[in-house]
Amino acid sequence: MKSSYAYYPGCLASLSQKELDTSTRAIADKLGMTLVDIPGFTCCGAGDVHEARPEYYLHLNARILGQAEQLGQDTLMTICNVCTLNLRQANAKLQADPELLRRVNRNLKEVGAASYSGGVDVRHLLWEIAEGDGYEKLKQIAEKPLTGIKIAPFYGCQILRPSRLLGFEDPDRPQSLERIIEACGAEPVDYPSKIKCCGFPIVLARAEVALGELIQPLAEAKEAGADAMVTPCPLCHLSLDAWQGKASREADMEFDLPIFHLAQLVGAAAGLSYDELQFKRHVVKAYPVTDKIYQGV
Amino acid sequence: MQVTLKIERYNPEADESRQETFSVDVVEEATLLDVLDVIKDEVDGSLTYRKSCRMAVCGSCGMRMDGAAVLACKTPMRPVVEAGEVPVISPMGNLPVLKDLVVDMEPFWAKFRAIKPYLDDGGEEPPVKEWRVQQEELDRVMTEALCIQCGCCVSECNSMEADPDFLGPAALAKAARFVNDVRDRGGKSRLEIYNGPHGVWDCTRCYFCNQRCPKGVHPRDAIAKVGAAIYQEGMHSDGGARHAKVFVKSTHQTGYLLETHLVPETVGPVNAIKEIPFALRLARAGKVPNPLKPHKAKKLDEVRKLNKLIESQEQATLEAANAGPTRPPADPAQSKESE
Repeated sequence: MKSSYAYYPGCLASLSQKELDTSTRAIADKLGMTLVDIPGFTCCGAGDVHEARPEYYLHLNARILGQAEQLGQDTLMTICNVCTLNLRQANAKLQADPELLRRVNRNLKEVGAASYSGGVDVRHLLWEIAEGDGYEKLKQIAEKPLTGIKIAPFYGCQILRPSRLLGFEDPDRPQSLERIIEACGAEPVDYPSKIKCCGFPIVLARAEVALGELIQPLAEAKEAGADAMVTPCPLCHLSLDAWQGKASREADMEFDLPIFHLAQLVGAAAGLSYDELQFKRHVVKAYPVTDKIYQGV
Repeated sequence: MQVTLKIERYNPEADESRQETFSVDVVEEATLLDVLDVIKDEVDGSLTYRKSCRMAVCGSCGMRMDGAAVLACKTPMRPVVEAGEVPVISPMGNLPVLKDLVVDMEPFWAKFRAIKPYLDDGGEEPPVKEWRVQQEELDRVMTEALCIQCGCCVSECNSMEADPDFLGPAALAKAARFVNDVRDRGGKSRLEIYNGPHGVWDCTRCYFCNQRCPKGVHPRDAIAKVGAAIYQEGMHSDGGARHAKVFVKSTHQTGYLLETHLVPETVGPVNAIKEIPFALRLARAGKVPNPLKPHKAKKLDEVRKLNKLIESQEQATLEAANAGPTRPPADPAQSKESE
């Protein structure tokens, strides 16, 4: 874990998923991480700009990395899987090809944006607290163990695959979320589709296909006895939380599974309150689980 | 070394499935395919699987080890034995099982045929004996040309599990190989095939295909290349392309995603009306940002200029690609070659 990071919350945590940004800032404080805001950061383009206009995507991300560099930070911290893959993929391309980096910098200069030398590493919050001194610090701040609560880890895709670009852990047998759940005093629940897709990228353009994908982890986690689910990605969270009602009707099953952001799980174990972690901003009500956490009922 | 495998067996005559455990002694260099061969030769001759080249070229021996698709001939067993594991060997996913580890590849080939896997030269005569393709033009399709059609990518495709008609990563990687072939004149009619209801916009970007491909084809990246070609040709009829358009527009207008534009502009105004109760539920949780006061990034002019600058560069690249193969210089050596 670093003592300071250029902090990139991305779009969702700045907009509809604000509770993730708030919770992240709150736990960073507890963990002793300084988060330096990036003035003028934009959307990373998600998979959409990446697909439709790959050159524009590359420049958008180079601009963000250049802005982080300008802050004097060598590590940019993300809290979203899609931002993580987008930024890391652009970074890997730019770092591996000096001619490409020169060309991109010429374009950035032409529009008056900060150039990028290739010196920034992109890391997700999950990786910073799942091992090493970050994990030790996590164990220290988890003063209110979530004893007796069964939590299903849901990784989402773009923090695991392609491992050539992400590479933190075995993409088929990840353990980082399980380790964090244990450090928080809760019990991790295992189920096969924890590494599969939540369907979110196509939830509007191909609703039926996306719901077909979303039902699997919800049904399996429920079957495995989970009280709640935790995810390191705000897009997965939106899918699992806001679209859970639709998945429930489609599958004709009652899920009622509260979905935690990673930072909320850590925050709850660190003694931050329901309001501080903004659980009220969830569509699937979190109180069946948060009541157990905060009131022991 | 001794290798123990649990193998999923399927007997089509009795429609019976079972898991059987086999332990055999093999050389330390043995691959999964070598182990299966020893089992078949020495223990149970009825064990059924496909194989041919034994060197990761023919694409016959795709199967799953502990749920992950691999080429049996490219999978060394020593690390598995050293880790003390007893892996489960099963047939690939997303394809019907015929017997034991053999799947029916016909649905796979049907999708290959559907994407027009051959060069469409538009009837144009090459300037010399053949079209001359420059190295950098070949480089554009070389990654996808490495595909051996083993099906490992298809096996774990999350979208195909939910929509079995999805053209899928293997067929669409082959599509990218023709879309970006400088000699191909298929143009929009070719792209229309990939822009259909079960085409590129079905891909959920789970990246299992990139993870599983034993040849480094990166099928998801190939699907994105086809999506880019469709998008940049101005073919925005599909909800997937319209969804992407909102992201591009968002970065230009505010720098952030215009979340409230996504639903109406992806699904259309009529379907968006049906989503009003859903939107209200989200609004009650505070998940609908005020559309009248969108969050705006600082230094937005940089991004707007960047968008316009890159757009003009993309247009120039598109025009160059549409101009066709590089014409060979009219030198005597080439005329001689053409005779």
